[in-house]
Amino acid sequence: MELKKELEALKGDYEKKFEEINNLQELQKLKAELLGKKGKITQVLKNLKNVPPEERKEIGKLANQIKQFFEDLIKAKEQSIKDKLLEEELKKSQIDITLPPFWIEAGAPHVVKETLKEITDIFVTMGFSVAEGPEVEREEYNFDMLNIPKDHPARDMQDTFFINKEGYVLRTHTSPVQIRTMLTKKPPIAIVAPGRVYRKDADPTHSPMFHQIEGLFVDENVTFKDLKGILKKFLETVFGENISIRLRPSYFPFTEPSVEVDIGCTVCGGEGCRVCKSTGWLEILGAGMVDPNVFEAVGIDTEKYTGFAFGLGIERIAMLKYRIPDIRLLFTNDLRFNTQFKGI
Amino acid sequence: MKVPYSWIKEFVDIEEDPNIVAERLNETGLETTVEKFGEYIPNLITVRITSVKKHPEKDKLFVCEATDGQKTYQIITGADNVKENQVVILAKEGAVIKGQEIKPVKFGSFESEGMFLSLEELGLEDESEGILLLGEDAPIGVDASKLLNLGEDYIFEVEITPNRGDALSVKGLAREIAAIFNKKRKEINPNVSIGKEKNPQISVETEKVNRYRGIVIENVEVKDSPFEIKLKLIKSGQKPINNVVDITNYILLQEGQPLHAFDLDKIEGQIHVRNAKEGEVFVALDGNEYNLKETDIVIADDKKVLALGGIIGGENSKVDENTKHVLLEAAHFEPSAIRKTAKRLGINTESSYRFERGVDIESLPLAQDKAVELIEKIASGKPVGEKEIYQNVYTPKTIKLREKTTKRVLGENIPKEEACEILNRLEIPTQEVEDGTVSQIPAFRAYDLQREIDLVEEVGRLKGLNNLEETYPAVPTLSYEKPEWYMFEQKTRQFFLDNGLNEVLTYTFVGEEIYNKLGLTPPNLRIVNYILKSQSVMRDNLTVSLIDVLKENLRHQTKDVAVFEISSAFFDDLEEIRAGILVSGKIIDGYRYTKEKTTFSTDLQWDFLKVKGLLLSYLASLGFKDAELQSADLPFLNRYESADIFIDGKNVGFFGKVHPKKAEELKIPKNTYVGELKLKPVSRELQPLEKEDYLFTLYKRRKTPAFQPLPKFPPVKRDLAFEVPEDFEVGKLIHEIKNSCKFAKKVKLFDVYYLGNGKKSVAVSVEFNADDRNLSDEEVNSIVEELIKELEERLDVKLRT
Repeated sequence: MELKKELEALKGDYEKKFEEINNLQELQKLKAELLGKKGKITQVLKNLKNVPPEERKEIGKLANQIKQFFEDLIKAKEQSIKDKLLEEELKKSQIDITLPPFWIEAGAPHVVKETLKEITDIFVTMGFSVAEGPEVEREEYNFDMLNIPKDHPARDMQDTFFINKEGYVLRTHTSPVQIRTMLTKKPPIAIVAPGRVYRKDADPTHSPMFHQIEGLFVDENVTFKDLKGILKKFLETVFGENISIRLRPSYFPFTEPSVEVDIGCTVCGGEGCRVCKSTGWLEILGAGMVDPNVFEAVGIDTEKYTGFAFGLGIERIAMLKYRIPDIRLLFTNDLRFNTQFKGI
Repeated sequence: MKVPYSWIKEFVDIEEDPNIVAERLNETGLETTVEKFGEYIPNLITVRITSVKKHPEKDKLFVCEATDGQKTYQIITGADNVKENQVVILAKEGAVIKGQEIKPVKFGSFESEGMFLSLEELGLEDESEGILLLGEDAPIGVDASKLLNLGEDYIFEVEITPNRGDALSVKGLAREIAAIFNKKRKEINPNVSIGKEKNPQISVETEKVNRYRGIVIENVEVKDSPFEIKLKLIKSGQKPINNVVDITNYILLQEGQPLHAFDLDKIEGQIHVRNAKEGEVFVALDGNEYNLKETDIVIADDKKVLALGGIIGGENSKVDENTKHVLLEAAHFEPSAIRKTAKRLGINTESSYRFERGVDIESLPLAQDKAVELIEKIASGKPVGEKEIYQNVYTPKTIKLREKTTKRVLGENIPKEEACEILNRLEIPTQEVEDGTVSQIPAFRAYDLQREIDLVEEVGRLKGLNNLEETYPAVPTLSYEKPEWYMFEQKTRQFFLDNGLNEVLTYTFVGEEIYNKLGLTPPNLRIVNYILKSQSVMRDNLTVSLIDVLKENLRHQTKDVAVFEISSAFFDDLEEIRAGILVSGKIIDGYRYTKEKTTFSTDLQWDFLKVKGLLLSYLASLGFKDAELQSADLPFLNRYESADIFIDGKNVGFFGKVHPKKAEELKIPKNTYVGELKLKPVSRELQPLEKEDYLFTLYKRRKTPAFQPLPKFPPVKRDLAFEVPEDFEVGKLIHEIKNSCKFAKKVKLFDVYYLGNGKKSVAVSVEFNADDRNLSDEEVNSIVEELIKELEERLDVKLRT
């Protein structure tokens, strides 16, 4: 039973030796020393023939168990050393994660264009289609057919830029798109028309070029109460559920009855401040029921159809929403301004 | 328009808080704000000036004596309108004027016991000339703050929409307030009798004057207006002039009827109300000379033009302190005629403003008689004759308002009884009929109320549009059209944003200068009445504006600029929506990291291939995978680094490097690239334009891609290097390889280097693939051999071995 003792001693001995090893070369060396052709266990097994046959089986089994034990141990050891080495290597090339990135930085949308998109999208999701028209517009569509005759004071409501093309102006509002749409399509009509418009006006709240969006809804049984519903939903979507809304009767040549729509001041919440000129209200859009004269001009039966229209200035909405004090900032294209509105 | 609450109260019994009145006016359609008339100031007293002498020591100062009936004050003033006998306001010791307490002050050897006040010092005007003269009839020795109703009266400031000419007077506003608060409006009838002995000779010779009435008033005494009149004018923001002129203004404010007084002695012969003669010249009260046209209306005598009808009087017939007899005119002019003339000549008077918006033709005599009564009373004139021509007599229009129309438009059922009541409150005589109401439209609403819908509005606004309960309509499915262009535009925007370009927003009008600097001819389309010359040309490309954006940012030391805009370019017959880009400086300003653990800063600059990549990547994102480039020849671009972009043979845009000479002139960096893509034509006609050289047109027509089976067999790769002339275009080789060999599925350039003998080496890696089998090495060898033979035959290339 000497061999058995010898084997058990080997096991204890080498288990300790392996434990202390921490590099691959030594591991290989020790492996050869133990399991190699001339290794200790191999030697033991060579001596097996001198063992009495009744013990041989038992010792042989033991030797193989020990051999298997060490093979597993070495494998595990090898893996752990390799892992450690890899870890060290990775650590050595650790990156400074605070370094500036190397990628193209996404651009910033223009605050006016983005507001225009936001508003258009609200109506598009409601089911409105999008219509457009030229900016150099026929006077007829910009004025006459919208019930704004020549020599009528209503033309003064919008100071017009005239151009050197007979019968054309720079459109003063997006309303001529109403005319274009009604001349080419039959009711039901539900469109919005976003776009650039022009007025001869320049100060901190007026720009000679600005943006509007126009809405037109024509069908049988469209009422003023429907207009109120659509506008309410729209304003709540833009400014939040709790916004208060006020309709004031007003005058636009192409709608009757006409209203100006105010919202509770978004700055002071109705208390009165500089932005709302202490009134607690902000004028936000104009709207009304399509005037029968407009329907007649485009050949829509006024006894069958009714409709509503509304229009609002985009710059004003953007300025209120993002607290921009001067409209001119919107057109300087100073990128220090433009890039403030990334991700809006 | 400014209207004192106290004046309104003369016409309607109302005691409501003025703020509530203003709020209700807003709610029913007249945009109104209200302000207190000044603030009560203690220690103000009215005094009569008894003597005015020049200050013996101080230039420009006057030493005055004034009495409050008991005490005499010595006051030193600089106001040169001080006049003996005038009642003025004295701030006594202790009064606080504009934050300063009044104390006795010595001017030279004279002490001033107070200060005469101007409207400015009373806080009623921004800037005053001279002190406020209250007239000779104002009471003295009374609390001046009380007398003026400082801090007691309220002033409404009403902004009238163009349809509401009827509300442009105290009377009109009173009518509106009476209707809102359901009160009765009071009318005060004048008591005048006009003699017949000196009826004037007047003929109306134009259709554009509907009614004309002239009254001769003799022996008027032109002088200062009495205090009561003055105060009302001041409260209404008007300047008192003399009693006759003040009375015409007073009646205009109160009744809304413009009047004009001529000095009768300056009229030669009879009055002709006629169209002006072409080229006739007229000097108006504003001192300007006007050249008249046949479309203008004039009031003339036998020899000369006396007034521009309904707009402004003439210098040659004006009433002044020497006037003895006047001809008082009240007329009704055609609104469009007045507007045409006023607009053309650039004159806007209280009179033209009202005539343009429509004046009540029926109450013309009433208003004029009220003026006559006042002239009799305070200017001691005698009306001795009149002549009236009423050629276009007003006949009230009958309008029916059906209950169902109100319901159809407002969505609210307003019973005819209620509609009838509302309309009558508005002084529109209305009766109920079976299915609604019938109204007779009074002259004061003649222009505004012409159709059934106009009455719907009247009923709606008085009932309160804000109070109607909203309903939520369903948008009709039948009207739906996919917003294709909108989606295309947004897709384009998003692409450039995602690829690092910032969106800008530029004016579509520019100056000529930038065109000259770029070597381009400025376009024809111009704004005639521009604000700035530098904003008068309608641009025909976006580059002219984008260069400005770069310059603006360079001013702020922003040198890395990558921007885009989707906007319009203008042409004689159409507009184009384009996407314009401008890039300059670094594309990425970051750090690179290498395996050797070195980090270094990098300047990845924009260059031709990057801009090409950006634009072709955009086109590929739209499904255009085979855009072709051809050298471009634009005056502002470096022609060796610029290209036109073609899709299916259509030129859809260009891009390139700004010409170094232009860059220098424009003071912009040399490595600036610009580009424009034509997205969509916009027709000025009703039919949309379907021109082919626009991306959106091509996009709509592009074929829906059909699935292609994926290759079943692995590709075989071969690298080939060719020797070609230095100016040989690499694209040609790649194109030709694909073209001449059906097995060559992918061609990738991997190396170009210059050999130095006018030649360069171009190396490509080609992937060969058959759809139906594995290509063997031998097969590929012979394919390549064939390919090389073909290439060498067709192109100026030679395989390098």
